[in-house]
Amino acid sequence: MKIDITEHNGAKVFSLSGDIDLYSSPALRKELIFFIGEKVPLLLVDFRDVSYIDSSGIATLVEGLRGMMSHGGKMKLFGIPERIVEIFAFSKLDKVFDICGSLDDAVKD
Amino acid sequence: MVVKIPSHPKYLCIVREVTAKVGHIHGINEDLVEQLKLAVDEACANVIKYAYGGDARKRIVIRYKVDRGWFEVVIEDSGVKADPEAIMGRRLEEVRPGGLGVHFIKRCFDIFEFDGKKKKGNRLRLVRYLKEKDEDRYNGA
Repeated sequence: MKIDITEHNGAKVFSLSGDIDLYSSPALRKELIFFIGEKVPLLLVDFRDVSYIDSSGIATLVEGLRGMMSHGGKMKLFGIPERIVEIFAFSKLDKVFDICGSLDDAVKD
Repeated sequence: MVVKIPSHPKYLCIVREVTAKVGHIHGINEDLVEQLKLAVDEACANVIKYAYGGDARKRIVIRYKVDRGWFEVVIEDSGVKADPEAIMGRRLEEVRPGGLGVHFIKRCFDIFEFDGKKKKGNRLRLVRYLKEKDEDRYNGA
């Protein structure tokens, strides 16, 4: 997994690519924890190039969401491939995460 | 087919690739291949986390056997014995990190059972029936 971190209208954008699994999710967790510590108001996670996610990747995102909410921040996911949306839906997390179609949708409140 | 990997998370991608290839070779549809890939990955990740407690120097053996009617995976380790009674995921309604892996395994496989006869370590047998009524054929095999 590769993580590119950029800014877009004041939001941090995490662009992820590749597989998010037990091997790679600690790196994602480390970056999320850093920006949660910085109390960024909006964190957007770009899933367009994510090919796979397992339960450890989902657990990392749940932890990230909780961390963002703890200081009143927001975390949104966008561009999630259909087969990964299905995993969020099965886990009943599609209603927990703010899932958007595109970056433009995600930056709208 | 047998795959042996060290118990390091970086090798899980090999398990996923092999699982998907075995599925494709046997003409399993893409949706099910994705579920099988995730479920076998989760089962091996559980071996790394729980049976081996994160020790990356151990070994995991994964055996695949596919018939027209079923897809069987047997995963063996030499780690701490699992307690089948204690293996249950979190309630899906409960929003917290962790506890999802076992749900991914059980939604995909019709049989999830540990071989109680194995003296050291675990032998987890996972079976997915590929057609209706193949349960009887499998049990008679």
